Amino acid sequence: MKVLTRLRGALAATLGYLWSGWGAVTSVLMFCALWEYGARIHGDLVLPGPVATLRRLAEMFDSGLAVPELAISARRTLYGLGLALAAGSTLGLLAGRSLTTAMVSRPLVTLLLGMPPIAWLVLAMLWFGMGDATPVFTVLVACFPIVFAGAMQGARTLDNRLRNVARAYRLPWHMLLTDLYLPHVASYLFPSWITALGTSWKVVVMAELLTTADGVGAALAVSRSQLDTATSLGWIVAVLGLLLGVEYLLLEPLKRRVERWRSGPAA
Amino acid sequence: MNALHIRHLYHRYGLTEVLADVGFDLYAGETLALVGPSGCGKSTLLHVVAGLLRPSEAVISSTFRGIGCVFQEPCLMPWKTALDNIALGLKALGVPKAARRRQAAALGLRMGLGEEDLAKYPHELSGGMQSRVSLARALVLSPDLLLLDEPFSALDVGLKAELYGLLREQVARRGTAVLMITHDLMEAVRLADRIIMMVPAPGRLVREFVLELAREERTDAWVYRTTAELMQAEEVRIGFGLAQGELPPPLHEHARHGGCVV
Ligand SMILES: Nc1ncnc2c1ncn2[C@@H]1O[C@H](COP(=O)(O)OP(=O)(O)OP(=O)(O)O)[C@@H](O)[C@H]1O
Ligand SMILES: [Mg+2]
Repeated sequence: MKVLTRLRGALAATLGYLWSGWGAVTSVLMFCALWEYGARIHGDLVLPGPVATLRRLAEMFDSGLAVPELAISARRTLYGLGLALAAGSTLGLLAGRSLTTAMVSRPLVTLLLGMPPIAWLVLAMLWFGMGDATPVFTVLVACFPIVFAGAMQGARTLDNRLRNVARAYRLPWHMLLTDLYLPHVASYLFPSWITALGTSWKVVVMAELLTTADGVGAALAVSRSQLDTATSLGWIVAVLGLLLGVEYLLLEPLKRRVERWRSGPAA
Repeated sequence: MNALHIRHLYHRYGLTEVLADVGFDLYAGETLALVGPSGCGKSTLLHVVAGLLRPSEAVISSTFRGIGCVFQEPCLMPWKTALDNIALGLKALGVPKAARRRQAAALGLRMGLGEEDLAKYPHELSGGMQSRVSLARALVLSPDLLLLDEPFSALDVGLKAELYGLLREQVARRGTAVLMITHDLMEAVRLADRIIMMVPAPGRLVREFVLELAREERTDAWVYRTTAELMQAEEVRIGFGLAQGELPPPLHEHARHGGCVV
């Protein structure tokens, strides 16, 4: 009987996920319909429709133009984001441990969050020149405060009674991390990681557009100068596709796995 | 023999004094029940003994090493299954995964938690199951000193009897000392060697009852009779608000400077 109810719960959860997937697909299709409508009104030169854009994108992949540029941008995103996730999570957790550091760092986080990435980009250009370091650094500083704030929030909200349990049962420090802090904090970290992921792609493309000679952003700059709207849109769709892919195929399932203890009849 | 000695324990939360001149001894193999009205500072005292709260003033000496603690609320890690919650302390001691899971499962089953209950997360367990998991988490360590804060209050009569047996067995086998908080005088009479009555404002110990009869010889009739006698004691009646009256205030000044004798 109990096995049956558990099975039914699992089934419902899976169906729920699939259903939310259908919802997402539907809304994307609706968006495409609107896009097509706009293309009909303004003509292919100003706004190529989704079909034309996808055809262009397929050509770009076939000619071997797209993959290397995407790989370069992805590498920069990965470096910048990876650094931001590691540094933001670690420092955020440490800051959240004491009231003083939390109070001191809160206005700094607000400041960093409010600073437009383009301002960082200008500084990075001055400091690092035109190499890989500029987009990586810009991504790092743009994503760091988001993750830091999430981690700090997570560390601050940890139930004091659970902390007492950990002390009473003499958990060594590594167990405090793996059995107490990380599982609790994960539920705050994951949303911030997903936000950071979105930000990182935007910032990388922007940084490349203005500073580097390769990557998606640079390719966008070229297609813009040639007034090639279809190619520009193709790049944009490629980036968005990657973003959606990483979020829905990697982060979201991971989040569901890690937060299994939350879901269920009560949640 | 392992022992815990506490003298002249004072604790204040801010300006309110919640414990005043508390002192008692607890020896290995002994069960001490702490009874008193709600809010008189029992849990606070337990936290002090567990080393989770630093008292304002106290002379404490303890030779107990392994301490198992059952809090008033179950306080389970919500991201761990019942089985892994029970095994928490064993994991902290470095017991290998297979061994600690086996021990935890065996104890869980003895406490009436089924195979499938042990695989559940705390939010999927009933209140009574949660408190049993919390008790199992302490018992599985076979500690020298067991601190219990109302561990049986969420359980039915049958389960209580079952767990009393488990606790007695633990005490007999390991010589565990037990400090137990309870609201149930009958439970205290059934399980304890000594019962200490505590009263609030500020929290202090006003009377100690010693139960001489060996635990195996305590029949239900004896338990009812003794509980009834206990209820007649003046301190108990006043403490629980069943009778009007004043209990002696703590001996402030004298005690506060006599803190070096243990
Ligand atoms: N963290 C705290 N900060 C301030 N006051 C507290 C704190 N914890 C407890 N108190 C106060 O200390 C007093 C004793 O609390 P305690 O939890 O020890 O009572 P108790 O005897 O365990 O009661 P119960 O039987 O209802 O569990 C209460 O008056 C309570 O308001
Ligand atoms: Mg209490």
